[in-house]
Amino acid sequence: MSKMNSFKGTGEYIASEELLAAVNIAIALQKPLLIKGEPGTGKTMLAEAVAKALGKPLYIWNIKSTTKAQDGLYIYDTVQRLYDSQFGEAGVDDIAHYIKLGKLGEAFKSQEQVVLLIDEIDKADLEFPNDLLWELDKMEFYIHETGETVAAKQRPIVIITSNAEKELPDAFLRRCIFHYIEFPKPELMEDIVKAHFDNLEEALLQEAMKVFYEIRNMRDVRKKPATSELIDWIQALMIGGIPLEKIRKELPFIGVVVKKDEDLETIKRNRAGY
Amino acid sequence: MFTPFFYLLRAKGLEVSTTEWLALMEALGKGLCGASLTNFYYMARMILVKSETDFDKYDKAFQEYYKSVKSPDKLPDKFKKWLETQDSEDALERLMKPEDDYNYLMKDKGDKDKKKVEQMFRERKAQQEGRHDGGNQWIGTNGTSAFGHSGKAPGGIRIGGKTGMQSAFAVIDEERYRDWRTDKALNYRQFQVAFRRLRQYSGRLDIPKTELDLDGTINSTCNNGGYLKIEMTQPRKNTVKLLLLFDSGGTMIPYMNLCNNLFQAVDKANHFKDVKTYYFHNCIYSHVYKTPECADGDWVSSDWLFKNLDSDYRVVIVGDMQMAAEELYAPDGNFRGPNDGLSGYEWLQLYKKNFKRIVWLNPSKHDYAKLMDWMQAEAALQELFPTYKLSVKGLNDAIKKLMNPSADFNN
Repeated sequence: MSKMNSFKGTGEYIASEELLAAVNIAIALQKPLLIKGEPGTGKTMLAEAVAKALGKPLYIWNIKSTTKAQDGLYIYDTVQRLYDSQFGEAGVDDIAHYIKLGKLGEAFKSQEQVVLLIDEIDKADLEFPNDLLWELDKMEFYIHETGETVAAKQRPIVIITSNAEKELPDAFLRRCIFHYIEFPKPELMEDIVKAHFDNLEEALLQEAMKVFYEIRNMRDVRKKPATSELIDWIQALMIGGIPLEKIRKELPFIGVVVKKDEDLETIKRNRAGY
Repeated sequence: MFTPFFYLLRAKGLEVSTTEWLALMEALGKGLCGASLTNFYYMARMILVKSETDFDKYDKAFQEYYKSVKSPDKLPDKFKKWLETQDSEDALERLMKPEDDYNYLMKDKGDKDKKKVEQMFRERKAQQEGRHDGGNQWIGTNGTSAFGHSGKAPGGIRIGGKTGMQSAFAVIDEERYRDWRTDKALNYRQFQVAFRRLRQYSGRLDIPKTELDLDGTINSTCNNGGYLKIEMTQPRKNTVKLLLLFDSGGTMIPYMNLCNNLFQAVDKANHFKDVKTYYFHNCIYSHVYKTPECADGDWVSSDWLFKNLDSDYRVVIVGDMQMAAEELYAPDGNFRGPNDGLSGYEWLQLYKKNFKRIVWLNPSKHDYAKLMDWMQAEAALQELFPTYKLSVKGLNDAIKKLMNPSADFNN
C-alpha cells in the first residue's frame, strides 16, 4: 500500500481501527466501500474526511427515490436542444453540447484521483445498484448520442452509504467491501465529541453523555438518538449556558435529542420512576 | 489453499462468491492484513460478509476454523517475514493449520507476553459474546425448538375436542409470535420484486407537473404556429392500497421466517399509496390486532375497517387455516376475544362483502383439504377465498389475481 493513499482519520473525524482498515483495504483493492450503520453515526462524513485526509476532491452524488442510474452518468438535455433549434442558436448541431455529465461522469473525467460519495444508495429504486455494476467495475461508460466512451483516468475512491432501507442486490454486494459502523462506545464517543468542540467543559460533557446513554439504553425509545444528536445537544447546552445540575433534572433542549412525541413520553415516564 | 475456510463459510450459510474470494486472495497477495490474525479476521469479514446480520455466522465459522489459535493478535516478526517471503500458497497453507501455528507462536514467548496476549484474548472474547447475543436471538426463534412446539400445536387443534384444544392453546400462549420487524430479514428481495407488480397507475393525483406531455406538446406546438410550446404533465403514481392481515397463531411459528420476509418486503416497499397491517389469531372475528402479540384491547374492530377503508383496498390474508371447526363456525368460537354475535365464518363473509379483492396466502396449503375430514376449516376457507401457497410463485399468482380487472373473486 502506498504511503500516499493511507487514511488515518482526521482531527475532526475520529474513526475506529476497523473502519480505518476498511477504508485502506478498499483503496488498495480499488473496490467500492459500502458503509452501513445507524443514522447519525457519521457515514456521510466519512467520505468528507477521507477526501480531506488524502487531499483529493470530493464528488457527492446524493441519491433520492427518483434517482436513476443514468443520472449519475450523463443527461442528454433534449428539451434545451429543441428550444435552441427554434431560434437557430449556434452549436445546435453538436450533440456533445447538450450532454451534461452526472457526478459519476465528472469523477471519471477528472484528471486527478477523486473521492466519490454515493450517498444513501438504498433510497433509490430496487434495481438501481444493478444498473451501475458495469460502470463501477470498469469505471467507464459509453455515451450513445456521441459515441464517446468516458473512462476513468484514475479510478476514483468510491464510498457508498446505506441506511438499510432496502436490501441491496447480491451482484452489487459482491463487488463491495463492506463495513458496518457500530454505535460508538462511550470512550470513542468522548473523542468524537471533543473533536467537534474547542472549549468544552469536561463536567458538562460527562453529564450530557451520561444522560444521553441513559436515554439510548431505555428499551422503549423507538428512535434512538445518535452521535449527531448528542453533538447538537451539547452545542445547545453550551450556548444556552445551562448550569450543570439542571441537565439531568430538567433535560433542557431535549427536543434536540429525541424527535418523537411518544419517545418524550417514554422518557418522562421512565424518569418518574427515579 | 484457503479453500476449506471458503467451504466452511458456505456451509455456515454465508453466500460467499468466487468473486469475493478472489478479492480476498488479492488482498492477501498485497499483504494488506500485515500478518496479524486480528487484521485478517476483519479484512476477510469486510470482503466476504455483506450484512451485519451475518457477522454472527462468520464469527462462528472463524472460531471453528481457528479454534486452537489462542492468541488473536500480533504474530511474531519471524512468522511475518516468513509469510512475506514464502510463496503465498505455502504460507497460507501454514496459516490454515492453526495448531502448529499456536505452538510455533507460543514457543519462544516469555511469561509476560503470554499474559498480555491472554488478556487481549479475553477482552476480545467478551466483545464477541456481546455481538453474538443479537444474532443468537433470531437463530433461537428460528430454531428447531419452534418446530418442535408447533408440531404439537396443530395436532392439538386438529383433535377439535375441548380438552385437546385447551392443551394446544396453552402451547400457543407460550410461543407467541415475535414482532417480525425487529428481526432480520433473510432474502425478501424476491418478495419485494413480486410486490412491485402490485401497481395501478393514475395521473389524476394532486402532485406537481414534472413530466413532459408528448402529445400535449405536439398539439400546443401546432396551435402555436409551429413554434415549440412545452406541456408538462403529472407523473403516474401507484394508486394501490393494501390491507395485510397476518395470522399469528401458534401453528404459524414454523412459517415465521417466511412471514417475516413477506412483512419486510411490504414494509420496505414505498410504492403503495397506503399499507395497513393487522394481525389475528387463527381466525378473524370482530377485532383485528395491531401487533403480532394479539394482546386484548390493542386492536381495531372489523367494523371500523369496513367503515374507514374503501372497498378498493386489496386485501392479502396470510394464515395457515389451521383451526378447529368450532373456531370457524361457532358464534362463541373465539376463545381469546369477543365474537360479537357472529361466527368467524360470518365475519369472513363480511370481509368478503366489504373488500372486493381478497386473496389468502397459506404457507401450508393442502390441495386436497376437501377430502380430509379434519381439514374442514381449510376446505371451507379455500372455497370462500382464492387461496395460494405462500411462496414466491404463489405470491406472484396471487398478485396477478389482485391486479386482473376481470378476475372473479367469488370462487
